[in-house]
Amino acid sequence: MLKYILKRVGLALLTLFVIVLLLFILVRIMPGNPFPSERMNDQQIAMKRAEMGLDDPMFVQFGRYLYKLLIHGDFGNGTSLYYGAPIGSVMTTCIKNSFRIGGMAVLLGSFVGLLLGICAALNRGKFLDGFCTVFSILGVCVPSYVFLIFLQYNLASQTKLLPYFFDEARFMQSSVIPVISMSLFTMSTIARFTRNEMVDVIDSDYVHLAEAKGMYGSRLITKHVLRNALIPIVTVLAPLIVDLLTGALVVEKIYGINGIGKLMVDSIAGEGVDYNYVLALGILYSSLYIGIMMVVDILYGVLDPRIRVSAKGGDR
Amino acid sequence: MRKLLAMVVALVMLCSVTSFAAGEETYLGVMLLTNVMSLDTHLATDGESFEVIADCIDGLTQMDAEGAAIPALAESWDISEDGTVYTFHLRDAVWSNGTPVTAADFVFAWRRIVTLNGEYAYMFDTSVGCVKNADSILYDGADPATLGVTAIDDKTLQVELEVPVSFFPSLMYFPTFYPINEAFYTSLEEGSYGTSPETFLSNGAFVLEEYNPGTASLKVKKNDLYYAADSIKLAGIRYQVVGSSDNALTAYKTGALDVVSVSGSQVAAVKKDAELSASLKVTGAGYLWYLSFSQTEKNAQGGMLANANLRLAISNAIDREALVEDYVLDGSLDTYTAVPPQFAASATTGEDFSADQDRFADYCGYDPDKALEYFEAACEELGVTTFTFTMIYGSNEGDEVAKVAQVIKAQIEEVLPGVTINLQSMLKAERLDKMQNDNYDIALTRWGPDYADPMTYLGMWITNNANNYGFWSNAEYDQLIRDCTTGAYITDYDARWEALLAAETLVMQEAVIAPLYTKASANLIAAGVTGIEFHPVALNRVYKNAEIK
Amino acid sequence: MKKKMSKTPVNAPAENYQPVKEDFRFLSQQDITVDRNFASQSYWRGVAVHYFHNRRAVIGLIIVSLLIIFAVFGPMMSGYSYDEIVKVETVSSKGKVRMKPATMIAPRIPALHELLTGEEYDDAFKDEVFLFGTDDVGRDLWTRTWYGARVSLLIAFITIFIDMIIGMSYGLISGYFGGMVDNVMQRFVEVANSIPRLVIVSVLAIFMAKGMGLVVVALLLTEWIGMSKIARAEMLKIKEQEYVLASRTLGAGNGHIIFKEILPNTIGPIITQVMFSIPTAIFTEAFLSFVGVGIMLPQCSVGTLIEDGFNNITTLPYQILPPIIVLALLMLGFNFVGDGLREALAPKLEDM
Repeated sequence: MLKYILKRVGLALLTLFVIVLLLFILVRIMPGNPFPSERMNDQQIAMKRAEMGLDDPMFVQFGRYLYKLLIHGDFGNGTSLYYGAPIGSVMTTCIKNSFRIGGMAVLLGSFVGLLLGICAALNRGKFLDGFCTVFSILGVCVPSYVFLIFLQYNLASQTKLLPYFFDEARFMQSSVIPVISMSLFTMSTIARFTRNEMVDVIDSDYVHLAEAKGMYGSRLITKHVLRNALIPIVTVLAPLIVDLLTGALVVEKIYGINGIGKLMVDSIAGEGVDYNYVLALGILYSSLYIGIMMVVDILYGVLDPRIRVSAKGGDR
Repeated sequence: MRKLLAMVVALVMLCSVTSFAAGEETYLGVMLLTNVMSLDTHLATDGESFEVIADCIDGLTQMDAEGAAIPALAESWDISEDGTVYTFHLRDAVWSNGTPVTAADFVFAWRRIVTLNGEYAYMFDTSVGCVKNADSILYDGADPATLGVTAIDDKTLQVELEVPVSFFPSLMYFPTFYPINEAFYTSLEEGSYGTSPETFLSNGAFVLEEYNPGTASLKVKKNDLYYAADSIKLAGIRYQVVGSSDNALTAYKTGALDVVSVSGSQVAAVKKDAELSASLKVTGAGYLWYLSFSQTEKNAQGGMLANANLRLAISNAIDREALVEDYVLDGSLDTYTAVPPQFAASATTGEDFSADQDRFADYCGYDPDKALEYFEAACEELGVTTFTFTMIYGSNEGDEVAKVAQVIKAQIEEVLPGVTINLQSMLKAERLDKMQNDNYDIALTRWGPDYADPMTYLGMWITNNANNYGFWSNAEYDQLIRDCTTGAYITDYDARWEALLAAETLVMQEAVIAPLYTKASANLIAAGVTGIEFHPVALNRVYKNAEIK
Repeated sequence: MKKKMSKTPVNAPAENYQPVKEDFRFLSQQDITVDRNFASQSYWRGVAVHYFHNRRAVIGLIIVSLLIIFAVFGPMMSGYSYDEIVKVETVSSKGKVRMKPATMIAPRIPALHELLTGEEYDDAFKDEVFLFGTDDVGRDLWTRTWYGARVSLLIAFITIFIDMIIGMSYGLISGYFGGMVDNVMQRFVEVANSIPRLVIVSVLAIFMAKGMGLVVVALLLTEWIGMSKIARAEMLKIKEQEYVLASRTLGAGNGHIIFKEILPNTIGPIITQVMFSIPTAIFTEAFLSFVGVGIMLPQCSVGTLIEDGFNNITTLPYQILPPIIVLALLMLGFNFVGDGLREALAPKLEDM
């Protein structure tokens, strides 16, 4: 197992390197000017470019970037976004906000989603099942920002129970609204998948066998049904976690959360294309994604011993 | 299962019922349209940043309610007889760390601006401020120490200009010319100036209380060390970036914010509501939206738009009145002059440069018949009767831009048979890139005045100016503008004014641009809040006289 | 698990002996019994019969068909075109005659209004019918909603297609072979998924014309990934089951096992994933339009209509409702159809 994990980590690092290289090249051929100035003349812009080393050959730039990043942990400074501040420090604040809110949304969404899905599967064809279907359809159809506005209007403005805009000083209270609205998509997706997976598993022979042997209730559900249904659910959940942790862009914008999603859009869709921000955020995103996929792969083994066996063998 | 459900409910309850800290009631809640990009005067380029910088730092002069320059850090100033040497006498003021504000702070800040050569460094060069030697430092790499600014003593600052600049005192309230304390600046880690309350020093009405780069909310509080602290009534300002006009309106209605700006259908909704419309205040935002036509060979079907009649036809096919009354809605002014109204008044007569909007009625206005006449003339000259142009616009430049683009397309196609306009939206950065590289047919673009003189607009159309996106060139025009900036008219204010009017006529006669409307800002201001001063130039909002009753 | 076939001759030492095919023969010469009754039924006919016996599946089919019919014919029904600014001549307060556009009008049917209140509308558009109201440019939202539905349905179908073909095959193959193949294929997915879509699309926009084609390519690049993950996970779950082993023992090839044996058993989660990738595709398209690589105004899609409506959600709530309802119905319909298909394709004994 340890050898497997080590190999997996090594591969992940290699993948990350490829991604950084690719990103670096792609970002540099993106349209749009890193110095989107209407007031600087060509000469001034040329000076800026030279200063940033943007005229050097691409591989020299890449080497320099990698050196700074690996040796000093320095992502550089923005070219057209929050110019003065080092990207590392700007990103830290954003990561803190996005991770905390996204994390809570993941927990809420997957927990309630699972619960709802299980209830629906156990009551197949009854009211709860229908409710689950409608709920999950609404949850994915209605964008999270519409829920946000709805909650903002009802919870924050009518009752004044919660802050209308995000306020770091009152983190918990001001998280409620974005967490609920962001978790609904996850909740719906998980509920739907759980329900369908459970239905499949409940119908399977080994569950019938377990039932025949006299197993029932929560023990049957957790031991046999859920465990087998969980693999596809974990697969669906993994990218959703990455998306939630890296922030829901419009929710962050509307609720005034200084987070990663907002930063990403500012860096591409802002005044200019900010090379350094796009790169830094891309690296953050892919590390997260690769990391979570790695955990999922390892989890597969834990959830289903048969996979562990076959992964070790790989002899076909 | 029931247990789990109960737990969820309990969790949600716990989250929502936790106690609340009472907010600072006396802080003024103000909406920002976009993020504050930088508090460093060398890097800031947007109105939001300038506003917050100006809250915290005073320049030599400041704006009065009408936008005229009145003393701030400079108690008074003397102008030499030839108008090229200004001597500013500073008052006793201190930075928020207790050190006095000296003339050396200005010298340091100004040299820094020209050394770093940022976007607004051009305010020093001969196109605007004409500070001595600025051109050679900025563009020829001369020593920044040669800049025409000297600290005679701690309280006396002398500025030498290349040529007299009639509006120089009013440039001094622009944040680019604000001081920075050298000792404080050099004590900071490189690149950290202005990135937090600890790394930012004020000498103005407010000090920074809460800020980090990229934040959606920031706070400033009253500066007790401010030289005029007694006259500042606000305890502080709570700024909040609000993403949409709709949300701004809701935030205002619920009292989350005291000052918001709304646009489009929200303005329409406000006007229908008696209570809300009472607190509506429309102020000029200064921006002129216009169509830029590329006149080079490689665009617009082989340079078709180089034909003045075709441009005039398009300009006359646009119903600007309908544009502002039915679509933009926020009180923006339909504009028929190359210099927008209400920002540049003559120093001698006080008359607005563009008060007469009918001056170019022959070249610019909504007249389908005339548009057709121009169009037929153009078809004859060009030997073509069908035209297909692409019009580019920015999708992230405000709610109404996409709407305006679609309406203009419909209007032009309705009036001019054979003309097809295809719309192409893109991000602002890409639009600028396309325009700067002359890779577009027609562009919907805007320009905001940097200083209160028509030159901030007319300077753009001289040959080879970076903002002359149409690549229009006219020797007579170039000469007129040169005479106004560095030549014959610099000492004769009225003659210069007339020359500028003549220059504008040249632009309009050939429809170098098609002006559309001058943007306004529809603000909602909570009852009891008074004294906020709105300006279309330099600083959009000033809070020094604001008060919450 | 495939044992290496030995080429050892028959007279080799007993301890190394591996049985070969020639060692075996049938005990009797009789034909193996074939269930002719079952075989005579066409598979697809069975699926169809099964499908139409399912009430929800039929409702789903009706909803989807109606949406398609409206998407095709809806825009023609109002008499306006999707980009037409409806205007009526009015006299302004200054006494000038001008064409006033029908901006921001709430849904109205004049005849019905008169019937209910006994009054006419008191504005310039008292005779016009706007079932869904108008937008803030003055265009009929009924027409635009269905025009948008047309665009979005197209996108939805493309998404399904891409998901099914690329994602499913990729995931199934990757999961089935495991080991090195899986490793390489999964790393590729990680690379493909890690580059922000906006970056890829922006770069692509340099080489491709902007518009629908670019949207399709953009969706093609990333939308299959979720599906491949699901397919792979299902494969990992199923491939060790007894029937796969049985099939392999009987000599079935990899292709047969993957696509004939395992695929039908993964159909449930795959259909669910397809359902849920539709709104993602529709919103992705809207976002691409915003950054300027999607469809161009004045064209519209359900996604862009929702975004437009969102700008006025509290002041003009009727604007956002039609596109969201269309999207929800689309989802509901597809969902029912999907569930029905799943049950019809892989019927369980108790359903029969």
